[in-house]
Amino acid sequence: MFKNWQLLKDDPAKKEKFFQRAKIVSLIRDFFVQEDFLEVETPSLVRLPGMEPYLDPVKTELVIGGKAEGGYLVTSPEYAMKKLLAAGFPKIFQICKSFRGGEEAGRLHNPEFTILEWYRAGADYRNIMEDVENMFRHIAGRFGNGSSKIVYQGREIDFSPPWPKITVREAFQNYAKIDLDTALDRDSLFAAAAAKGYKISPKEKFDDVFFKIFLNEIEPCLNQAKPVIVYDWPAGLAALSRKKAEDPRYAERFEVYAGGLELGNAFSELTDPEEQKERLLEEREQRVKSGKNVYGIDEDFIAALSSGMPASGGIAMGVDRIVMLFTDSKNIGEIQFFPAKDIF
Amino acid sequence: MASTQDIKRGVVILWKNDPHLVVEFEHIMPGKGSAFVRTKLKNLKSGKVLENTFKVGEKVDLVDLEKRRVQYLYASGDKFAFMDNTNYEQFEVGVEVLAGFEKYLRESLEVILLFSDGTPITCEFPKKVSYKVTEAEPGVKGDTASGRVTKEVTMETGLKIRAPLFIKEGDMVIVNTETGEYAERA
Repeated sequence: MFKNWQLLKDDPAKKEKFFQRAKIVSLIRDFFVQEDFLEVETPSLVRLPGMEPYLDPVKTELVIGGKAEGGYLVTSPEYAMKKLLAAGFPKIFQICKSFRGGEEAGRLHNPEFTILEWYRAGADYRNIMEDVENMFRHIAGRFGNGSSKIVYQGREIDFSPPWPKITVREAFQNYAKIDLDTALDRDSLFAAAAAKGYKISPKEKFDDVFFKIFLNEIEPCLNQAKPVIVYDWPAGLAALSRKKAEDPRYAERFEVYAGGLELGNAFSELTDPEEQKERLLEEREQRVKSGKNVYGIDEDFIAALSSGMPASGGIAMGVDRIVMLFTDSKNIGEIQFFPAKDIF
Repeated sequence: MASTQDIKRGVVILWKNDPHLVVEFEHIMPGKGSAFVRTKLKNLKSGKVLENTFKVGEKVDLVDLEKRRVQYLYASGDKFAFMDNTNYEQFEVGVEVLAGFEKYLRESLEVILLFSDGTPITCEFPKKVSYKVTEAEPGVKGDTASGRVTKEVTMETGLKIRAPLFIKEGDMVIVNTETGEYAERA
């Protein structure tokens, strides 16, 4: 069986994608430098990784003073970057590796992947939506023939702003015919799903059924002529984001979809240290229940919020997925030199 | 009862009371949600293809199919003829039953056909198949120095794959039919 690097040797078309990848990454960097963002580097190796209930941080070990000390690889640089917001860096971005141990290598996932995160102080998720649109306009205008349109897997996508934006509530109404306002608790969502013929086991959680409906009925409708922004998620699905002032059942979170790929996830960041701690404790409890690795809350992160983190918007995007779009690659392995399947 | 761990291409599950063939599947992790399996399912009664996304660990009903070991005879048009060597019964199947594996057929190759109510639905194709190489450019001095690792070679059936430089005309090579890649010299 050939490794990817061996196949690259004799295939100029396969090789070309890596020149395109480098070009895209440099265009991303250009864009943020031009927008006066500071590029930062934060640790990949930490003591206390993200608390997201469904992610599996990769466990490792280091030796300090002759003693073995447990460590983890980050699932995202989020906590560290928010500490830098609190430290007084108002516009920061980072392109780095992140690691998610539980994500089976496949068409869309690789356990080690490249993430792009940026944060803006004095801003909220609406400003981040504009950043996303402008960044894609910047890349598309300087990549290939400079057109705002690309073809991904046989379908044209036009990146010219503005992009269609739809609330999660509208998406459930339009595509799944469910009034989410009346289905925000476990029992009523289960009833709504069961009425539509979903088989639901009593062991399942709100999130499970929510995503079952989202993935079956909504996500397939998001592969449109332009990328789509889906915003205002149920508060329970947005542990690091600020609740909407006018309707606290929803939180200021959005996701971006293009060409059937989920590209990124953004928040108006939660800055209240007590509420943040409470939500992390709830997520920790979920980790305990589902048998995931359990570790403490990063108190340093809570301390940073307590010291006065400014109101901010921030986002994490998959760089590999952005590259897949622009290089018309069906599989993530086509745009990574050493996909996990060549290593493990 | 089976679960989503058993879902793979070629498996038949009972879905909304009808048998459905799994045509495609992939694992997905929605933003900050648990793991799911997205599938394309073909209804074996109506022929309709639909998509469904299962939560990993969800229970599914597998449908048992009758398996028959058959030998490949020939292709005529878009039909492929096979024979069951135990009773010499012959079958013609369409390209959809072979689901992409048709390009790996070679004379007298044995495969398993799976039947539902007497109709062939899908096949289990051997993971490794050997072929005779009928065309391979001769190795050139300097190939290795220039860093080349692979070259294109053509099999007796017309199948083309990339193989190591040392493979020459007349060699038998084994191809992995799941990846379409060279596996080893036979």
